[in-house]
Amino acid sequence: MAFLFPRNKQKTTVEIVRSAKESLQKLSSVEQLPSAQDEALSQKLAQMKLILQGTQETEVSPEQVFQLINLLLSEDLLYLLATNIHKIPFEARKDTQAIFSNAFRYKSSGQAEPTALHYVLTHRPQIITALCHGYDRRESAMPCGGVLREALKYDAIAALILYDEPTPDGQPRNLAEVDTTAPASGKGVFWLFFDWIVKSSFEVCADAFSTFREILTKHKALVATYLETNFTEFFTLYNRALIQSDNYVTKRQSIKLLGELLLDRANYSVMTAYVDSAEHLKLCMKLLLDDRRMINYEGFHVFKVFVANPNKSYAVQRMLVNNRERLLRFLPGFLNDRTDDDQFMDERSFLIRQIELLPQANSEAMAGNPDS
Amino acid sequence: MADNYTMLEELGSGSFGVVYKAKDKTTGELVAIKHIDLEGSDDDIREIQQEISLLSTCASQYVTQYKASFVRGVKLWIVMEYLGGGSCLDLLKPGAFPESHIAVVCRELLQGLDYLHQSGKIHRDIKAANVLLSHTGRVKIADFGVAAQLTNIKSQRMTFVGTPFWMAPEVIQESGYDFKADIWSLGITAMEMANAEPPNAAIHPMKVLFHIPKNPPPRLEGPFTKDFKDFIAQCLVKDPDRRPTAKELLKHRFIRNAGRIDILQDLIRRSRRWDAREDKNAHPKYYEETLKDLSPQVEQEEWIFDTVKPAAPAHATIKRRRLERIPSDASDCTNPYASIAPGTRLRELDPQEAPLHSESPAPKPVSRKSGGGDRRRSSGMRKTSGQNSTRRVSGNKTPLGLDMSFGNSPSTVRQFRRVSSGGHAKQSEQPEEIPVLEDMTECRPPRQPLSKTPSSASTLVGDENAPPTRNNPQARSPSKQKQGAQRVSMSQAESQPPIPIVPIAVTKESLLGRRAYTKVIDSAISENLAQTAESGKREALARLATSWQVLDRVDPEGEFLFLRSLIDGLREEPKLAAALGLSPASKPDLGISTSGLGLISANSSFASGITMVDTPVSIPSTPTKQPAHSRSPSKPSNARSPSKPSTAMPPPPPPSQPRHARNSSHQPFNQPSAAKVSPPSTNHSPAKPRLVLAQNNPHLKSHHRRRQSAIVGGAIDVERLEEHENLISSFAPHSDANGLTDVLYGRWVEGLKSRWGMAG
Repeated sequence: MAFLFPRNKQKTTVEIVRSAKESLQKLSSVEQLPSAQDEALSQKLAQMKLILQGTQETEVSPEQVFQLINLLLSEDLLYLLATNIHKIPFEARKDTQAIFSNAFRYKSSGQAEPTALHYVLTHRPQIITALCHGYDRRESAMPCGGVLREALKYDAIAALILYDEPTPDGQPRNLAEVDTTAPASGKGVFWLFFDWIVKSSFEVCADAFSTFREILTKHKALVATYLETNFTEFFTLYNRALIQSDNYVTKRQSIKLLGELLLDRANYSVMTAYVDSAEHLKLCMKLLLDDRRMINYEGFHVFKVFVANPNKSYAVQRMLVNNRERLLRFLPGFLNDRTDDDQFMDERSFLIRQIELLPQANSEAMAGNPDS
Repeated sequence: MADNYTMLEELGSGSFGVVYKAKDKTTGELVAIKHIDLEGSDDDIREIQQEISLLSTCASQYVTQYKASFVRGVKLWIVMEYLGGGSCLDLLKPGAFPESHIAVVCRELLQGLDYLHQSGKIHRDIKAANVLLSHTGRVKIADFGVAAQLTNIKSQRMTFVGTPFWMAPEVIQESGYDFKADIWSLGITAMEMANAEPPNAAIHPMKVLFHIPKNPPPRLEGPFTKDFKDFIAQCLVKDPDRRPTAKELLKHRFIRNAGRIDILQDLIRRSRRWDAREDKNAHPKYYEETLKDLSPQVEQEEWIFDTVKPAAPAHATIKRRRLERIPSDASDCTNPYASIAPGTRLRELDPQEAPLHSESPAPKPVSRKSGGGDRRRSSGMRKTSGQNSTRRVSGNKTPLGLDMSFGNSPSTVRQFRRVSSGGHAKQSEQPEEIPVLEDMTECRPPRQPLSKTPSSASTLVGDENAPPTRNNPQARSPSKQKQGAQRVSMSQAESQPPIPIVPIAVTKESLLGRRAYTKVIDSAISENLAQTAESGKREALARLATSWQVLDRVDPEGEFLFLRSLIDGLREEPKLAAALGLSPASKPDLGISTSGLGLISANSSFASGITMVDTPVSIPSTPTKQPAHSRSPSKPSNARSPSKPSTAMPPPPPPSQPRHARNSSHQPFNQPSAAKVSPPSTNHSPAKPRLVLAQNNPHLKSHHRRRQSAIVGGAIDVERLEEHENLISSFAPHSDANGLTDVLYGRWVEGLKSRWGMAG
C-alpha cells in the first residue's frame, strides 16, 4: 500500500479530500458517475478509511487523522457522503461507513464529545437526518444504520432525531429551543422509522428496527419526556403498524420492545397510561391467543403489567373480570412447555392468583357498576 | 418474495434449519435457500440479523454470495448463491486430496480470508465443511454463523466459538484473539484435506480443547513436499503474533506454485463417481411446504371484549389452521440444472454447530472415510424439515400441553386423592393397557369430577353422535384387536365356544362389558365418589372402583353378563324396578327394550346397584360361573343360562348399542376418533383449504390428547388454585397485590435486562 506512505502526507490528505469532494458534488446531480470517476472516488474513500483506522499491520498517524477529520468537516464531505452513499459502489459504501464511524469516535484530547459529532450537532444536523434517510434504500440502509447507532451513543443525536420537524426555511431546529411539551407533528424523521420498519425488505426493516430501538432505549429521560408528550400518536402508530404487523419478526420484536419500554422505571408514567387503556389490554390478550408461541411469550410479558398493576382502570378491570373464568382456564396451560423457565412459571402463577382475586364476572356488583 | 423461487431438493440441514436448492423464477438462476425457524428459540432474532448483515456486506468471489432474505411465516429465508461442487468435506468422502489440489484450495481460501480480514471480519469457523466449491472449481468460504465483525480493526475478541479440532490455542485460552485465529484454522483445514481428517481426530472434541493449547502444534507427516509441510507449520504457529497474516501467506512458495482452480473439478468428478457408486443420493428430499401451522390451540377460547356474553366458538381460528401449500414443482425436477447434480449436497450455510457440541465432528477415522457425511447426518437428525415443521404439533413445545405426563407421573396419585375420582385412577393405568387406539381418547377428561353435579352427566349426551357401526369396533381395545384372529362372530359365540388362545376372547359380550364399564360404570362410580364426603364411605366406593376395574380388565364378558343378570334381577323385583324406572321384563324382543341398559347409567340407579354389589365378591363370582370351560370363551353360553334362562337366550342386544351410545352420559374412552375430529373441523369454513389428517395420524392424536389433557390439567389447577385462594383470602386483595407487584416488577426488570443483554 505504497500510497499510504507518500512523501508528503499533509498534502496528500488535502488532495484526497478535495478530489473526493469534487466527485461527490458531481455525483449529487447525477444518478451514477462514469466508471473511471466512480473508481477514483472509491479509491479516495478507501484511502481515507486507511488513514483513519490503519490496517492490521500499520498504525495510524494521529496528526494525519486530526487533519483528515478537520478537512471532512470543513469541506462538508460528511454531508455529501451521507446524501450520496447509495450511489457509490459496494465496497466504497463500507469504506464510507468506516469513515463515519471513525470520525464520530475521534476525540481530540480534552474534549468530552467527538469533534465531528459536536460539529454535526451545532452546524450540520442535516447529516443525521440524511443518514436516517439511508433507510430509503437497501444499498444505503446498513452502512447508514451502523453509523447512526454509533452516533446514538450521544443523547443529543437521539434528541435531534426525535424532535426533528420540517421547518419552513428548511433549516434544522435548534435543539436548545425545542419545546418538549409541544406534540410532534408526526412529520419529523423519527416517524419515518415506522414506515421503514414496515415497508422495507427484511435487512432494511431489521436494521431500521435496531436503530429505532436504540433511539427509544438509550437515553431514558429524554425518551420518557418525548413519549409522555406524544403518547397517543406514538402508541397508536406503534400498536397498529408494529404490534399488529403481518411480519413475524416485526411483530415479535416490537412486542418485546414494548415490554421493555413499559417496564423501564424512567417510563413509569408512560407505563401507567398504557396499562390504563382497555384497548391496549385487548390487543395484548389477543397476543396470548396468537398461534405462534414466541408471540404468546412476548405478549405475556406485556400482559402481566396489566394484571400486576395495582391501580387498574375500570375498563381494564372490567375486561379482566369478564374474562376471569377464561383466563383461569387458559393460563394454567399457557406455554406450559417452558418448564425450565422458572421466572415465567412464577410470574404465570402470580398472574393466576391475581386474576383469582378479581370478582366473578357475573356478579351483580360488576354488572351494576355504572361506567363512571 | 418466496413465490419468486421454485423450491427443489434439500441440500442439507443444520442446527438452524434446512437448506434447499431452488431456482429463481425470473432469472432461472439456481440458488440455495436456508430456512431458519424463528419460532425455534427464544434467542434474539438480532443474532440472526447479525449473520445476515455480515453476509450482506461481503462481496467477493471467495465468499458465498448473499442475495436476499425475507420472512415467510415464522421462517426466515436466506437466499445465497448455489454452489454445485459441494463442500470440501463432501469432496473428502472418497479420500484425501492430492497436495496440488490442496495448494489451490488454500490459495483461494487465503484470498477469501484476506478479504474478510481487511473488512474487519473474523470467520472463526474455517474448516473443510465450511469451504464450498462451485462446479467450475471456485472456492468460497461459507457459513458466517459465528463470524464476528469488528468495528475497530485493531480490537480483539474473547468469545469462545468455533469447532474444537480447528480452534486456535488463543481462542481456546480465551485470552483475546484476532484475525490470526482464522489462519490457524486454515492450517488445520489444510491438514484435514491432506489426511481426510483433522489432527487429533481420534481424541474426543472436549479433550482436544485441553490438548491444543498444551501440546506443540500438529505437524504434517507423510509423503508431502517440504513446502507444504512448511506452509502448515507457518499456519500452526502457536503464538498468534508470530503467525503470518493471510496476505503474507499468499506469498508462500507452496501457494505461489499452486495451479489453476480448474483442477479442482477433478475432486468434484471424483466425488460424483463415488456418490454414484454409493448410491447415496438416489432419493433426494424435495421441499414441500409444510402446513403453516396446525395449532394445538384450535379449540381455544376467545376473550370476551365487549359485553358479558359467551363468545362465538372458534371463529378466529380459521385462519390459523389454513394451510399454505406449495407443491414442489414437478417440472423443475426435470430441469437440466437439476440433473447435473441431483444429489449433490451443498452444505451452503450449514449453520454452525455450537462450539462444543458433542455432535461436531468427532471424526473417528473410520466413520469419516466411509460415512463422510456423518456430520451432516447428525445435524440432519437434529432437525429435518419434517421435524422442523411438525415440532409444535407433535413435540414438546406445546402451548397447551399442560399435563403431558398425565397418567404416568407420580402426580397422578395426588390427583386421584384430590379429585377423588376412580376415573383418574383408571386413566392412569389405561395407557399401558390400551396403547394405541385409545390412548388418545382415554385422555378425554372425565368431566364429572369437575362439574361435581350428577346432572352434568346428561349435558354430555350429545357428545357421542357417531354412528354405532363405527363405535362398535372402537369399543374393542387394541390389545384385543391384535387377537382378532380369535374374534368370533356373534353366532359363533352363541353356538359354540370359541377356541381360546389368550385369556380374553373378543366376544360381543366382552365388548359390551367393557363398553358398559368405560361408559357407565366407571363414571358412575367416580361421580358417586365425588358426591361422597365421608371418608369411610369413600373408601368403600374406591374399593369398588378398583375391584370393578380389575374385573373389567380381566373379564369384560363376565362383567357384561353380571350386569345383565343384575338388571334382570332388578327388573324382576317390582319395587326396585319401579324405583329405578325399569320397565318390566319384556326384554326378549330385541334391542329397544334393552333400554334398561341405557337407563342404568342414570346415577341414582347405579348408586343402588352399588349397594347390592359387595365389591370383593363380584370378582370371584364371575369365574365361578364357568366351571367346565376355560375361562372367558365359555361364558357366553354358560353364564347366560343360569342367570336368566328366559331372557338371556336371545342374542345380546346389538341394537342396544346405538342407543347406548346416545344415552351414555359420560365420556367414553373408546369414542371413535372420528367423533373427535369432526367438531373442530366443522367449526371451520369448508371453503378454506385445510389438511385432512388421517384418523390414525399420530399428530392428530397427540394434538387432541394435548387439548384434552390441557383441559384436564387446567381444571385441576383451578382446583388447586382454589385452595390457594382460600389461603390468600384473608388478605385484602389489593394490599397483597401491591407487595407482589413490586416483587414481580423488580424481577421482571431483571429478566428483561438479561434478555436484552445478550444481544446488546
